[in-house]
Amino acid sequence: MNQQLKIILDFIQQSENLSEEERTSLIKATKDVEKALTISEFKLERTEKVKRTTAILLEETIEELEQKRKAIEETNTALQQSLEDLKATQSQLIQQEKLASLGQLTAGIAHEIKNPLNFVNNFSELSVELIEETKDELSSISDQLSAEDREKVEEAVEILHDIEMNLRKIHEHGSRADSIVKSMLEHSRGGTGKLEATDLNALVKEYVNLCFHGMRASKNPINVDLQFEPDENIGEVPLIAEDFSRVIVNLSNNAFDAMREKANCKDLQGFENLGGLDAYHPKLTIRTHQQNSGISVEIEDNGPGIPEEIKDKIMQPFFTTKKGTEGTGLGLSITNDIIKAHGGDLKVKTKEGNGSVLVISLPNSESRI
Amino acid sequence: MQAKSIHGKSTQEINAALEESLKDGYKPTLAIIFMSIKQDRKAICKLLDSKNIEVFGATSCGEFIDGHQSEGEIAVLLLELSKEYYTIIFEDIGDRTLEETVSNLANDSLKKFTNPSLILCSTGINQQSEFFKGEEMVSFLKKSLGLDKLFFGGMAGDDWMLKGSFVFTNKKETDEGIVALVLDGDKINLKGMAVTGWKPLGITRTVTKSKGNLLYEIDGKSAVELYLKYLGKEDKITETNFKVFEELSMEYPFIVKRDENETVLKTPMNIDNQEKALVMDIPMADGSKFWFTNPPEFDIVEEVIDKANQLKQDTEEQADALLIFSCAGRQPILGPMTTDENEGLAEVWKTPMAGFFTYGEFGRVLNGKQNFHSGACCWVTLKEKV
Repeated sequence: MNQQLKIILDFIQQSENLSEEERTSLIKATKDVEKALTISEFKLERTEKVKRTTAILLEETIEELEQKRKAIEETNTALQQSLEDLKATQSQLIQQEKLASLGQLTAGIAHEIKNPLNFVNNFSELSVELIEETKDELSSISDQLSAEDREKVEEAVEILHDIEMNLRKIHEHGSRADSIVKSMLEHSRGGTGKLEATDLNALVKEYVNLCFHGMRASKNPINVDLQFEPDENIGEVPLIAEDFSRVIVNLSNNAFDAMREKANCKDLQGFENLGGLDAYHPKLTIRTHQQNSGISVEIEDNGPGIPEEIKDKIMQPFFTTKKGTEGTGLGLSITNDIIKAHGGDLKVKTKEGNGSVLVISLPNSESRI
Repeated sequence: MQAKSIHGKSTQEINAALEESLKDGYKPTLAIIFMSIKQDRKAICKLLDSKNIEVFGATSCGEFIDGHQSEGEIAVLLLELSKEYYTIIFEDIGDRTLEETVSNLANDSLKKFTNPSLILCSTGINQQSEFFKGEEMVSFLKKSLGLDKLFFGGMAGDDWMLKGSFVFTNKKETDEGIVALVLDGDKINLKGMAVTGWKPLGITRTVTKSKGNLLYEIDGKSAVELYLKYLGKEDKITETNFKVFEELSMEYPFIVKRDENETVLKTPMNIDNQEKALVMDIPMADGSKFWFTNPPEFDIVEEVIDKANQLKQDTEEQADALLIFSCAGRQPILGPMTTDENEGLAEVWKTPMAGFFTYGEFGRVLNGKQNFHSGACCWVTLKEKV
């Protein structure tokens, strides 16, 4: 019993001034207080103990939940990344599908056009030859003709000449049409379509050199200083090699064409290459880079650059700046499609008069199909 | 039915109290005895035998009657009840399985009465320190007896010695068995309820590795480490003789989901250092969902009494006697309020009461199924139908 209560109880029990009834009542009240005190002390002690334990349990649980939250967050980030990869892959697949559909369509159309076009070209060429033969024949008998007949023959020869000119136009434009059809067929020609580990640096170098020698063997060769600056950290990259080689060929040819244009630029009649007062030395620089975000290939020329007003159109199919039969307008469009099908993109950095850099960006291999 | 409750610190005191109760011509036929393992069971049984009183007894972990609670003593509820309305069945498991034993008990009960209701006590722990499978017993009994039959009771204690508890009758006793007071349900009405008060705390946990009574992993982590760490005893993880039951799990058992909206407490009794596992009083199967617990708030005492009052008002019934089977784990949690809980129940029913602190309880929560409980205050009234 509580010491103070015991004193009170003893006092009550020993007091002579209390009646028996009062004594009993006071003893009961004291015992009730003792009981209430015991209960209060017990409650206090237990409450403290439970509070401590509960606090630890809750702290541990909160820490555990925090760890779980972090784990969920990480999983969520990974899932988000997967979703983005999936979307990119889906976009690539759609692009590939579009390419395949376009390829099938163009192959069909091109095939159908090619036969009548062959007739047009062959017969126009043959007709030119026949006209030349006719003109020769008429020329050989003109001495034997009367002046009146000779005049008529000369008139006929003139008409034949006009017809020949027309036929040559037909042949020239027929040839251009044939070139477009060939290009379309080339575009639609399906490879295995499979990404295979390819030595990117070697592929780029091989096809740039191929174009260079092709250009050198053409009618209008120019001297070009070729510079390769490969990033040796790039190993094998998953590529559809036959498609990607077409990208390099197209971009290299465009660069050579641009630099040829600048090299042959006539600012004043009778004078060449006065675009700058310094001598112009065409230069093509090829760089590759391995970055965290992916791989890039830069093809930089020091040609005339691309005028601002057409910069947005150059990727459009059938858009060309080349004259006559020289371009089909499909090269960059096809190039862009192929790069997109690889999950990458093509960017153009250019300043009119200072050349262009075409930058191919490819994603890292782990984020591809 | 007339009931009287007596208590004593010895056989002599019981003898004196018994003689006192018989003075008015009272003729009990049955004595429900809850007594400390330290007391002389044979002497008590002999005394009651001499008075031609049948014995239904269990050792306790503290015992009480209305107005008196004790440890190490004897509490007796005397009943003057027609022998036609009851029988006592004693089942020592011996070489039989628990299922066979329970099936036998159920069959004998059904042979005696078409609608038997049971007050039963099983042992709690045998002399090899093996726990009695109370949950299995209830399951077998429901199956053999029928789901509609009522039974209430508790598992015998041994004053927290955990060296063997006993159930007994006039001539028999066992440390592994059951004693049942089988009542004619058409003549004697039982009404009761089990209330625990432990509440889930924290997040739902899942057993990820267990075997029998050994609990190895919780949510993929060591059960021993998680349990000790989360309850502030991280420094005891490496201690080989840490008394987990006495120092922790008695207050912080697990609360396990079962049936519909029902739970049961399952308690780590010790740590198997070889197996690095918690030794549970009741197995926790792989995949079991459970929580850490918050011990009952102090207002649980009022809740127990309020629910009893409500039941009394709803049924408009009185009682001839009251038995309380209160989990031994309630004492450290509720302290002196455990007495208030028991006294409060006796006050509600205004009837002689006896009870003891148990190692497990059998009964029904309000509107619940017949189940095994742990940490519960399980009470039952007996009323002879007029």
